[in-house]
Amino acid sequence: MKYLLLFVIFFPLLAAFFLAFFPEHKKEHQKWIKNFAFQSSLLNFLASLFLWIQFDSSTPKFQYGCFVDWLSSVSAQGEPVYGSSLTLGVDGISLFFIILTTFLTPVCLFTGWSSIQNYVKEYCIAFLVLETLMIAVFCTLDLLLFYVFFESVLIPMFIIIGVWGSRERKIRAAYQFFLYTLFGSVLMLLAILLIFFQTGTTDLQILLSTEFSEKRQFLLFLAFFASFAVKVPMVPVHIWLPEAHVEAPTAGSVILAGILLKLGTYGLLRFSIPMFPEASLYFAPLIYSMSLIAIVYTSLTTLRQIDLKKIIAYSSVAHMNFVTIGLFSLNAQGIEGSLLLMLSHGLVSPALFLCVGVLYDRHKTRILKYYGGCVHTMPVFSAIFLFFTMANISLPGTSSFVGEFLILVGVFQNNPFVAIIAATGMVLGAAYALWLYNRVVFGHFKAPYISYYSDLNRREFWMFVPFILGVTWMGIAPNVFLDPMHCSVANLIG
Amino acid sequence: MIDFILIIPELFLLTATIILLLYGLQSERKNVLSLLSLLSLSSLFFTGLLLWNNPIISCSFFFNACILDHLTFFLKSLIIGSSFGALLISLNFLRISATYSFETIILILFSVSSMMILVSSYDLLPFYLAIEFQSLCFYVLAASKRHSEFSTEAGLKYFLLGAFSSGILLFGFSLIYGFTGITNFEDLAKITMSEALPFSMNLGMVFIGVGFLFKITAVPFHMWAPDVYEGSPTSITAFFAIVPKIAIIGVFLRFFGFCLFFYEWGTILMLSSLGSMMLGSIAAMSQFKLKRLLAYSSISHIGFMLIGFCCGSIEGVQALLIYMIVYMLMTTGLFSIALSLKDSVNFRTSFIESINQFSMLAMTNPILALSLTILLFSMAGIPPLAGFCSKFYLFFAALSSSLNVLACVGVLTSVISCFYYIRLIKIMYFESPFLDYHCFPFRLSFQNSFILAFVTTFIVFFFVYPSPLFLLAHKTAIALCF
Repeated sequence: MKYLLLFVIFFPLLAAFFLAFFPEHKKEHQKWIKNFAFQSSLLNFLASLFLWIQFDSSTPKFQYGCFVDWLSSVSAQGEPVYGSSLTLGVDGISLFFIILTTFLTPVCLFTGWSSIQNYVKEYCIAFLVLETLMIAVFCTLDLLLFYVFFESVLIPMFIIIGVWGSRERKIRAAYQFFLYTLFGSVLMLLAILLIFFQTGTTDLQILLSTEFSEKRQFLLFLAFFASFAVKVPMVPVHIWLPEAHVEAPTAGSVILAGILLKLGTYGLLRFSIPMFPEASLYFAPLIYSMSLIAIVYTSLTTLRQIDLKKIIAYSSVAHMNFVTIGLFSLNAQGIEGSLLLMLSHGLVSPALFLCVGVLYDRHKTRILKYYGGCVHTMPVFSAIFLFFTMANISLPGTSSFVGEFLILVGVFQNNPFVAIIAATGMVLGAAYALWLYNRVVFGHFKAPYISYYSDLNRREFWMFVPFILGVTWMGIAPNVFLDPMHCSVANLIG
Repeated sequence: MIDFILIIPELFLLTATIILLLYGLQSERKNVLSLLSLLSLSSLFFTGLLLWNNPIISCSFFFNACILDHLTFFLKSLIIGSSFGALLISLNFLRISATYSFETIILILFSVSSMMILVSSYDLLPFYLAIEFQSLCFYVLAASKRHSEFSTEAGLKYFLLGAFSSGILLFGFSLIYGFTGITNFEDLAKITMSEALPFSMNLGMVFIGVGFLFKITAVPFHMWAPDVYEGSPTSITAFFAIVPKIAIIGVFLRFFGFCLFFYEWGTILMLSSLGSMMLGSIAAMSQFKLKRLLAYSSISHIGFMLIGFCCGSIEGVQALLIYMIVYMLMTTGLFSIALSLKDSVNFRTSFIESINQFSMLAMTNPILALSLTILLFSMAGIPPLAGFCSKFYLFFAALSSSLNVLACVGVLTSVISCFYYIRLIKIMYFESPFLDYHCFPFRLSFQNSFILAFVTTFIVFFFVYPSPLFLLAHKTAIALCF
C-alpha cells in the first residue's frame, strides 16, 4: 500500500518529465501535450481516490507510511548526528487535502484548454510539478522537508503568475507574492533549525511527544505563525493575496485559492497546535482578534472593490480567517468544522474564480461596471454562478454551511463573544456576495460594452459539474467527510 | 627525496606549464591557442588524476612546512575541478575576443599550481609566498586586455589594493614571528593554546585578519571587487570569482581553525560577515551591469561563508565546505552563460554587459532561460535547489553555536537578495524587450552547454540525495579539527 502514496506523489512529476521531451512545433503537438497532461493528472486523481477508499478511519495513526532515508551523517564516534528523512504518511487531516489537490489540478489544465495559447507545454509542466509539490507538503511528516516543499511551491507559482498572468501589473503581483511568502517562511526555517538543535530530530511524530519550555514555545510558535499567517492570510500581511489573485491566470487563481491558502491553515493545525499546545492556548486571543478584524475588514473592503477577482479574493480572506478561528477554538467541533470549511472553500472559491474566468475569456475585462444583465445572454452561467454565490455565503445545504456552523458551535463553547462577531461576518458575506451577483447578472444588459456573447460551452459546463456535485454532497452528507477525520482530530487535541 | 613524491601533482603542473610556455613561445602557428588550451586542460586533468592516485593521505613534509591531509585533498580537488571548469567555459570567449595572447592560459595554470601549494602550506613562509605567487598571476590577468581602459584600471586597482593587503598580511606575520619566534602552524598552535596571548600577538592577528578579509573581498575591504570584476575580461572574472576564494578560505580555515584559535577572531569575522551579507544584498539591488551584480552577490555569499567561519564547530566547517562547493558550481554555471551571450547589435565581438539585455531570452532561447532561472533561484536559496541545502545547513551550524544574530540576519538578507535574483528572472521572462537591446540567440558552444547542463542537473537533483556530499564535508571537517 505504501507504493500507492508514492505513486500519487511522484506520478505528476514523472508525467512532467516525459512532457519535457515532447516536441511542440505544430498545433497537433499542443493538443497531444494538453491531452497527455490532463489524462495523467486525471489518472492521479483516480489513484488518490483509492487512498480514500482504503483509508482506515478507526485509527489516528498515519497510514500509507513510507520512510526514505534522505540525509544522514555520522559523527567522529560513529553515531548518527544529523538525520532528516522523507517520512510520508496520511491521516484524516491530510487525506482530503491530497484529494482536493489531485482534483483541482486536472481542472486547472482543463480551464486553460483554449485560453492558454503560448508556452502550452510549460504550462502543463508547471502545473504537474506544482501538484507533486503540494501533495508532498500535505503528506510529509518531517518538519524540514515540509518547509522545503512549502517553499518550493513558490517557484512554479511565481512563473505561473508572471508568465500567464494577464496584465502588466502581474510582475508586481508576482514579486509581492514571492517576497511576502519568503519573508514569512524564513523565520519558520530558523524555528525548525532551533527545534532540531534542541531535540536532534525533525520527525513530526517524535516532536509531537516532545515538550518545549514555555518561553521557547512562544518563540517557536510566533516564528511558525509568521510564516503561516502570510499564507493564510491574516490581516496585516494579506496584501499579496488580492494582487496575486487578480493578476494570476484563472488556473493560477484556482490553485491559489484552492490549495495554497490551505497550506497556512494546514500548517497551523498540523504543526503549531499539537507541537506548542501552551503557546496555542496563550496566543489564541491574538489569533481570534486578528481573524475577527480580518473577517469584518475584508468583508467591508469587498463592498468597495470593482474588480471581480479581487472581490472573490477578499471573500477568500474572510473565509480563511473563519477557519483560523475554528482551529484555535481547540475543540473537536471547531477543528473539524474548519477542516470542512477548508475543503468547502477549496471547492467554492475555485469555482467562483472559474466563473470569473469564463466571463474574462469572453469579454477580456474583469471590471464590474462593464457587466450587468448576464442572465439575458448567459442563462446557464447565471444559474451556476448563483449556485456558487449561495455556497459562498454558506446557504444551508451547501458545504460551507456545515463548516461554518461547526466552527461557530465550537468557538461558542470557548468564547461566545468571538462567535457573535464572527457570525456578523456571515451577514456581511451575504451582503457582498449577493450584491455582486446582483450587479453582474441582474439588471439591464449593458449592450454598449458587450457586443459579442455566448453562454457556457460544453467544456466549461462539465468543468463546473464536479464542483456542484462536491459542494452538494458535502452539504447534504457531511459525515462521509467527517468520519475519517474524527480519530485524527481527537488524537490531535487529546 | 621522498618529500617530492608528495607534491608530484604540483610538480607535474608546474613542469607542464613551463613546457607549454616554451611551446607557445616557439610555435609560430596561428592556431597555437586552441592547441594550448586543449593541452592545458589535459594537464589539469592529469594533475587531478595524480592527486587522486596519491597513495599517501596525510602527513607533513618539507620540515613541517607543508601538509597533506583530507582538507588539502578536498581543496586541491576543488581547485583543480573549478579551474578546469572555468577554463573550459572561457575557451570560446578567449577564441572570439580578439585581444588574446596565449600567456593568459599559462598564467592561469601558474596560479592554479600556486593555489595548490597555498592550501597545503603549513608554515607562514610558504603560506605568504604562495599567496603572493597567486596574486601576482592575477594582477597580470586582470590587466590583460591592454587596449581597454577598464581592464587596465582594474588591473591597477587590483594590484595596488592587493599589494597593500599583502603588505598588511606580511606585517601581521612578522609581528607573530617577532613575538613567538615561530612560523610553523603546529608550533604556533601549541603556543596559543598554552598561555594568555600578549597584546602584540593580538595585533598581529588583527593584521592577518584584515589581509584575509581583503583577499576574500569581505565587507570593510571589499571596495576593489566590483571594479575589478567589471573591468577584467569576463573569462578572467569568472576565474577570479570561482577559484581563488576556495584556496584562500581553505588555507585560512586551517590557519584560524587550527593554528590561531577561533575565539579571538569571532568578533571581527562576525562583524565582517554581517556587513558583507547586508552590503552585498542591498548594494546589488541598484546594479544594472551584470558583472557588478555578480560581484556584489559574491560579496554577500562571502558573508554567508564567514558565518561558517564564526561558528568554530565541526558543523560550521562542514557547512562552509558544502557551501563552497555549491557556490562554486553555481557561479561556474552563471559564468558559462555570461560568457556565451552576445549583444544583438554587434554580436560578432560584443558580449552582454547590462542585465537588461537578458530580455527576450525566454523567447529566443527557452532552455537557456530555464537553466538560468534555476541557477538564480538556487543562488537565492529557494528550496528544493542545492543553494537552499547549503544555506540551511549553514544556518543550522550558526544556531547550534548560538550565533542567533548571524542566523537571523542571514535569512533576512537572503530574502532581500532574492529581490535582485528574481529581477533577472523577471527581465528574462516578463519584460518586453528594448528594441535592438537584447542578447543574441545562438548556440552555446559545446563546452559551455555541457558545463551548464551538469551544473543545472546537480542543482536540481542535489536535494534528492545530499548525503554523500555531507559525509565528504564532514570527513574533511573532522580531519581539520583533529
